[in-house]
Amino acid sequence: MSETRVGQERFVAPIEETPLRAIDAVNVDEVPENQWKEAWKRLRTSFLFWFAVLILAVIAAMIFFPSLFTDVPANTTPKLENSFGPASDGHPFGFTRQGEDVWANAVYGARASVAVGVLTTIFTTILGMVTGAIAGFYGGITDSLISRFSDIFFSIPLLLACIVVISVLNNTFPDRGFWGSVFVVVMALALFAWPQITRQMRGAVLEIKNLEFVDAATAIGASKMKNLRRHIVPNALAPVIVTATISLGVFIVAEASLSFLGLGLPQGVASWGNDLSDAQLQVRSGQHLNVMYVPAATLAITVLGFILLGEAVREALDPKARKK
Amino acid sequence: MWWYVAKRLLQTIPVFLGATLILFILLKLRPGDPILNLAGNKPVSPEVRDALAAQYHLDDPLFVQWFQFAKNALTFNFGETFAGQPVFDLIKQTFPVTVVLALMALTIDAVLGIGIGTIAGLRRNGWFDSSALVVSLLLISIPIFVVGFVMQLIFGVKLGWTSPTVGSDWSVGDLLLPAIVLAIANFAYTIRLTRTSVAENLSADHVRTARAKGLSERLVIRNHVLRNSLVPVVTYIGINLGSLMAGAIITETIFNVPGIGNAAYTAIAKGETATVVAIVTFMVMVYVLMSLLVDLIYAVLDPRIRYV
Repeated sequence: MSETRVGQERFVAPIEETPLRAIDAVNVDEVPENQWKEAWKRLRTSFLFWFAVLILAVIAAMIFFPSLFTDVPANTTPKLENSFGPASDGHPFGFTRQGEDVWANAVYGARASVAVGVLTTIFTTILGMVTGAIAGFYGGITDSLISRFSDIFFSIPLLLACIVVISVLNNTFPDRGFWGSVFVVVMALALFAWPQITRQMRGAVLEIKNLEFVDAATAIGASKMKNLRRHIVPNALAPVIVTATISLGVFIVAEASLSFLGLGLPQGVASWGNDLSDAQLQVRSGQHLNVMYVPAATLAITVLGFILLGEAVREALDPKARKK
Repeated sequence: MWWYVAKRLLQTIPVFLGATLILFILLKLRPGDPILNLAGNKPVSPEVRDALAAQYHLDDPLFVQWFQFAKNALTFNFGETFAGQPVFDLIKQTFPVTVVLALMALTIDAVLGIGIGTIAGLRRNGWFDSSALVVSLLLISIPIFVVGFVMQLIFGVKLGWTSPTVGSDWSVGDLLLPAIVLAIANFAYTIRLTRTSVAENLSADHVRTARAKGLSERLVIRNHVLRNSLVPVVTYIGINLGSLMAGAIITETIFNVPGIGNAAYTAIAKGETATVVAIVTFMVMVYVLMSLLVDLIYAVLDPRIRYV
């Protein structure tokens, strides 16, 4: 700077320049890559994503090929003389009070617990997306009706609602097999968890339906329905997918909490919730604690897997949020 | 402001009616004879049957019965347990303990959650932030009753700092450990919400202005960042007071706290569905009322809400 005039001593930020060469390098004719492809590009390089995938792959293997993890066959009749037996070859964490293999219980329990999480998520997501999209897109009375209706279900805390629903259904259908009991827990959770997705979907649709590309689609003759299906819903999906993935983990925890209260899956069904519920007697005595630690750890790791996956997808879909 | 208050009050009515309708339908879905259910599955004479049917409006149309159910809930007439104790007496005995427990949990949640969340938000991506993130993710992943049992074992049984179970002659000191466990259930979300909120405000225009006019960093953080960041957090914590009651069922059972959650658990274990529904109805009413209050406080704190 050659000379400084009065009043010019203050700091002046450097001009942010985009070099002309970079602007020239942009190929205008190229179709811009879609949101999902870009997200996948970012996901591929994310450590968090692969870590979550690894966890979930191990859990999936546990569900579909339990024999890879334990030599104890499913539904082995427990032997009482094994009660609280110590860890031995083929039984890495010893035995429960009833003489069941702790590790085998945890392996076979994965199926019911994850089934509850996955099915509940599928139901809530479908219900929430449809109602939310309709409410946001059509507005007016439709919106008010759906919003007030979802408020009602939202006003009852999830766990309280499930307690009532399941204690009623337990009396109505006392004996209902594996899928029947999974279904009851799933229905109870889904019935009161969908409003969250509805609210989110509604908000996203409201934001998107007034954007220019929707006007453009209307201008070239897209019908209302086609607009909603082809242009609005796909663009509103991102936040819903993130919430759904994270809540999948939350549902698994909720099933365990319900089992602890004696209202989850019935005793005969192998699940982490039931393993933990059986373990509570042990905890007070402070002995044979791996009866609790093993199912608690497998459950926590699975839930963590889903939460981390949700976080990784969130970052990939919205890279701005991370930089902030 | 008054327009907003009136609108919000009006919105509470359908929510309350709808919630009672859901609970009422569930109560009606119970299998078996409703009279036998009322009498605790003991055989009843025809006179008693008629009297009960008249008392509980069992012969009226369902719509009238639902209306009666909602009216009873509003007047705290929740019927009786199988043992013949009015459910509202049971609630009156147990609810104060739960309120003390929930308030303690709320305080712990607010102090620790906001404190840790603020530091994490101010030093984003530092070691403190990263470890707070890992800890909060772990706390979300582990079911709260496992945390409860482990804490009971460590602090109650092994170290002997507090009594592992509370029992009927409780003191505030006894409730500290259950309150911590109850707080942990929401703690992780408070940390994350505070962190995001602080981070968002740090890059807001009004904070840049505050810095530009030469305020010290301490003043900027205290008066401009924190005050604005806390609005959503305060709302979240307030709404929690209602949902803490759901958590109370588990925590009170583990620590044998003589609160409303424990009463609900006992009713579940005994299969007294009517009592369970009555207690849950009461909890839902408290929850709806709390949400209303919190929304009104939110409107006072954040003027933007009032004019939407």
